[in-house]
Amino acid sequence: MKKNLYFLILFFFSATFLIGQTAGQSKDGSVRIVQLLRQDNSIRRYPDALPSLLKMMNEQTNAHFDTDPLFISSFTDARLLENPILYINCDEQPNLEFPKEEQDALRYYMEQGGFVYLDAGIKASFLGADLGHSYAAWEERPEVKELFYEVFPEKTFIPLARDHDLFRTFFRGLPKNEDLKIQANQKRLPETVLTFVEREKWPQATYSFVGMKVKGRLACVASPICAMGWGRDEFGAWIPPISFRIRESAENFDQNLKLASFSGGTYEVTREDGLKDIIYSENGQRPLWVKEPNGSWRIFKYYSGEEISNYAHAFYSRLGMNVFLYALLH
Amino acid sequence: MNFRFFISVFLFPFIGMLAQVPSFNIPPADQNSSLREMKDRNSSSTVNVVPKRSSIAETIERAGKDLTNSEIGRRVGAAKLLGKYRSSGTSVLLVGALDDESPLVRRAAMVSLAEHASNGTVVYDKSLVEKIYSKLGDPDVEVRREVSAMIPRIIPVMMRSGMEVVEINGRRVYRSVQSKMRSDLFDMTQRAFLDDDAIVRQNILKYHTYLGVPLPTSSLEKLLSDSDHGVLLTALSRISSSASQANIVRRVKELSKHSDKGIRLKVVSVARDVNRYHTDYRGILRDMTGDSDPEVLSMAAVELARFGERVPQQIVEKIRIFLLSVDGLSTQVSTILYAVSALGVDGVSVYRSLTEHSSSKIRTIAWQRFISLSDGWKDSSLWMPAMQDRDKAVRTAVLNVLQGRTNDLTEAELSKLVNNKFSDVRIFAAQALLNAKQDAVDSVGFDLLIDEDTIVRSTTIRAMSARKVPGWVTILSRSLLDDDYVIQRAAMDGLLEDKEKGVPALIKYVTKYPQTRISNLARNELNKLGIKI
Repeated sequence: MKKNLYFLILFFFSATFLIGQTAGQSKDGSVRIVQLLRQDNSIRRYPDALPSLLKMMNEQTNAHFDTDPLFISSFTDARLLENPILYINCDEQPNLEFPKEEQDALRYYMEQGGFVYLDAGIKASFLGADLGHSYAAWEERPEVKELFYEVFPEKTFIPLARDHDLFRTFFRGLPKNEDLKIQANQKRLPETVLTFVEREKWPQATYSFVGMKVKGRLACVASPICAMGWGRDEFGAWIPPISFRIRESAENFDQNLKLASFSGGTYEVTREDGLKDIIYSENGQRPLWVKEPNGSWRIFKYYSGEEISNYAHAFYSRLGMNVFLYALLH
Repeated sequence: MNFRFFISVFLFPFIGMLAQVPSFNIPPADQNSSLREMKDRNSSSTVNVVPKRSSIAETIERAGKDLTNSEIGRRVGAAKLLGKYRSSGTSVLLVGALDDESPLVRRAAMVSLAEHASNGTVVYDKSLVEKIYSKLGDPDVEVRREVSAMIPRIIPVMMRSGMEVVEINGRRVYRSVQSKMRSDLFDMTQRAFLDDDAIVRQNILKYHTYLGVPLPTSSLEKLLSDSDHGVLLTALSRISSSASQANIVRRVKELSKHSDKGIRLKVVSVARDVNRYHTDYRGILRDMTGDSDPEVLSMAAVELARFGERVPQQIVEKIRIFLLSVDGLSTQVSTILYAVSALGVDGVSVYRSLTEHSSSKIRTIAWQRFISLSDGWKDSSLWMPAMQDRDKAVRTAVLNVLQGRTNDLTEAELSKLVNNKFSDVRIFAAQALLNAKQDAVDSVGFDLLIDEDTIVRSTTIRAMSARKVPGWVTILSRSLLDDDYVIQRAAMDGLLEDKEKGVPALIKYVTKYPQTRISNLARNELNKLGIKI
C-alpha cells in the first residue's frame, strides 16, 4: 500500500517532468522511453528486453510506461525533447561518434532535464568484441568517455556509491525465494555462488554504475550490459539463459595460481576503490583468474543453469526498474 | 614539541619511503620465462628469486597430486584449477574426483568438467561420460544440478552408437551396437524425474527426449501437479506423448484454473497444440474464454477462432477492450492482434477501434488489417484519418497499402491530402495526380508545384508530364530553371519522354544554358536519341 501510494505520487510528478509537449507521448499519459538506434538495419542486442522490462514495471508498480520504446536515429530528433528518458544500448550502435550538432542536442537534452541511461556504457577491456558479458568495472568504456568529453568537457563520470538511492528506488536487496517464486526451502544458488553474490558481486543489489551530474542532478548513468537480464517469454519464463562468473579461492591458491601455467594476455580492470585487478586471460577461453591489489589470487569459475539464470534475470530486472523509476523521480 | 617535529619531518617520510618500495609482483605472462634475480635492499647477501611459472604438464601433475591430498581444501583447489586446462588427462583426473567423499570436491570437479564442456572440450570416452552422468544420483544437490544442466553437452558421447566384433562359429562378425543407455542409468533417469530438487526435475524434463528416456505417464501426472512454476511450464511442454490419456487431460483442465497467469497462458498454447489428441482440449479452450484475465481470455478465444469456431460477440468485445487497454505490442499481444483476423467481420470492427490505440505499432497493424479486410482503399473516409497520424511509420504503412489502389480521387479528397502537414502524405497526393480526376488535378496541381518539399514538387512534375496536363511543356521548361537539381532532373526526364514537344523544349534550354549541370546530362540523353548539340 505504501509502495502504491508512493508511486501514485511518483507518477504524478513524472507527468509534470516532461520537457516539452506531449506529441511524442502516448495519448493515455503513459511515459514513453526513447531508444537510440542509429541504424535501422543494425544487429539488435536483446530487442525484446526493454519492452519486457517496461511491461514488468507496469505490472509491479503504479508507474505507467508505454511498452513500445520510441526509436530515434539522431539526438537532433525533435521527439527526444518530448520525452524524459533516453535509453541507449551502446552495444547496438555502430559507433559512438556523433557530429557536433548531435553532441549539442544531447547536451541540451540533459541540461533541460533529460535522463540518459547508457546500457553497456561500461565494458571491461578484456571482453573485447564479446557482447554477451557483463563485468563490473568502475569506469565508463573509452568511447563513452570520448563522447562525453565532447558533450560536457568540464565533467567526468563518477562511480555511484553503493548506498546511492538509484539502487533502492523501488526494489531493495537481492531477490529472495518469494521474489523468484520458488519454495522457501529450495536452494536459490550454490552456496559459494550465493556468498560471493551477496558479499561482492551485487552487495545489497548494487552494481558497478558510473554517473554524471548536470545542474546538480544525476543526468546520465552508465552500466555494464543489463538488458540481457530483462527478457521474458510470453509465459513469464526468463530468456535468454545467463551464467555467472564467480571469483573463488581455495587453500594455497595464492601460491598455486602464481605458479600455474599460463600463456595468454593480462588486462587491468578498475575496481570500485579505484585500484586495479589484473585479469589473466587465455585466447579462446573465458578469463582464467585474477590477481587482486591486495596480492591475493582468485580463480574465475563459471556457473550456469536454470537457478543461476533465473536469479540473474531477477536481479537485472529489479535493477533496471530501479534505474528507470529513479529517472522518473529525479 | 621538538620530538613531534622530528617525527613529522623525518620519521613519516621515512615510513612513506618504505611503503613505496616496489613489491616483487609476478611479471606479465609474456615475460615470465625470464628468471629475475633481485637483491633484497636490507641484505646484500640473500637473493630473492621470483618463481618461474610451471609448464602445463607440471601444473596438471601438481594438481593431480593435490587431488589425493588429505586436506579437503587442497583437493578443492586442485579440482578448480584443473578446470582451466582442457585435455583428456585433466578430464580423467576430474572424473576420478567425482567419487571424493567431500561434496565440496565433487562440486568443484563437476563445475570444472562443465567448464571444459562449455569451452568445447568433449570427453570422448563413453565410460567416463557415463561416470559423469551417474552423478545424477549424487546425494549432493549441487552436484546433481550441475550434471543435469550438462546433459546436452554429454549426450553425443553417451548416446553414441558403435560397432563390435564377435566370433560366431569361429568367424569374426562385425555388427552394430545400438545407441542405448545403460540400464542402471536409465532407471536413475526415471527416478530423477521426481528428484527432490526442482531444478533437477526441470532439467531432466527438458532433456529426457535427447536421452531417449520416456517420461512415464504417472511421473508426468505428478509433475503436472508440481509446486514449482518452472517445472510446471516444462512439464506442460512435454505432454504430447501422453496427451490422449484421460488423467493428463484432467490435469491440464485443472491447470487451466491455475492462479498464475503464465501457467494459464501456457495451457492455452498446449491445448491448441494437442487439440488433435483429445476432444476435451477444445472444451478447455472454450472454458478459458471465461477467464478472469482478459489476456488469457483473448488468447483462448482467438485460438478457437483459428479452429474455425464462431466466437460470441461479448467475447469479441472483451478482446477489443483488452487490446485497447494494453500498453504496447508484446509477443503475446502481437499473437492476439494478428489472430483477430480469424474472427472474420467481427475482427474488422476490432481493428478499426485499434486504429486509435496509443501504441504506434498496434495502430500500424490495425490500419493495415482494417484497410485490407474491409477493402478500405475504396472509401477515402475510412483511411483519411490515418493521414493525420503523428507517427510516420503508421502513415508509411497505410500509404503502402493505398498506393496503386486509390483511383479517381476527387478534388475534395486531393485537397485534404495536399493540405496535410506531413510531406510523405503530400508526396502521395502528387503520385495520386496520375489517376485522379482532371478537375482535381487542375485544382490542386499548382499547390503541389509550389510545395516547400522538393520531393513533392518533383513528384508533381513527373505526374503532370505523364498526364500531359494543359501547359505541361511550359511548366517543365520553367522547372528546368529551378535551383534544385532534383526538380531539374524530373523536368528533363518528362521532356525527354515526348519527342514532339518535349525534346524541342529541352534542346532550346540546353542551347540557351549550355553550362549548367543539367545541360550536361541532357546533352548525353539527347545524344542517346541521336540528337547532337
